[in-house]
Amino acid sequence: MISQVDFDKFVKDYNDDYLLLLKRASIRHYDCLISAFMVLKDLYKVIQVMFDTGHYTYKVLPYPFSFRADEVLLGQLGFDQQEIQSIFGFLDHVKTTQGMEFEACLEAGTVAMCARVR
Amino acid sequence: MSQTAIADQIESHIGHLIEDWTTAVREDPRIQSDENLTKPELIDHVPAILEEICELIRKREIPGVRNSLEARANVYVRFHQGYTGRDLVRELSLLRITLLDYLMDLSLGGTIGLSFEERHEAGKIINLYLDEEMRYAISVFCNPPTLVQAEQ
Repeated sequence: MISQVDFDKFVKDYNDDYLLLLKRASIRHYDCLISAFMVLKDLYKVIQVMFDTGHYTYKVLPYPFSFRADEVLLGQLGFDQQEIQSIFGFLDHVKTTQGMEFEACLEAGTVAMCARVR
Repeated sequence: MSQTAIADQIESHIGHLIEDWTTAVREDPRIQSDENLTKPELIDHVPAILEEICELIRKREIPGVRNSLEARANVYVRFHQGYTGRDLVRELSLLRITLLDYLMDLSLGGTIGLSFEERHEAGKIINLYLDEEMRYAISVFCNPPTLVQAEQ
């Protein structure tokens, strides 16, 4: 079993990476963002499963993985309107390039790694 | 009627269900945390929650830690909106009633041929999903983390 200190570090790493990916989306830097989110989703689930054991507490809440259509959340995270539209634009970009919704893409796994020019 | 059809029915009525739930929350004198929220802030993640529930009903999947992302997002947002834990629980209870009432309406309508077993299975997924959110909310609100604002 890992220590509370290590758990806190997992959460911090997750939060830092999550914000970084959203920042990339907010400036329309969409390249390979799907695969990055795929990896991050796994980390988020590990954190949630560990927290659910009851052995750990949150010093800081992990950002929720989901951000679809949630202006309130993105506003709370400090993004302005234009940046929020660019983040939502990433969801459209995924649908256009992968032919499926972002969430379905994450479920599909490696099939959807990095957009290909068709 | 298949579970897919039940999920489709709920999804096609999300707007009405949200409206019913919003009214119930606003009229409930026991919920005070919503007073300063605009309607979009109050509704926030609830449509996404309903869509996630529908997906679980469709796949006949039991809700758990790994497949309730929207529920966890809702707890995050409510916590940062200054909600009390008891108000969030009450709000979720009202959402449960709204959904189970609608399931009953589907059953009583008779036109879509919903069997008792099918209603029970869908109801079980709704209950387990909302229980999962409450479980997470209680864990978070009982040991409140530090409130942090993201730096841009």
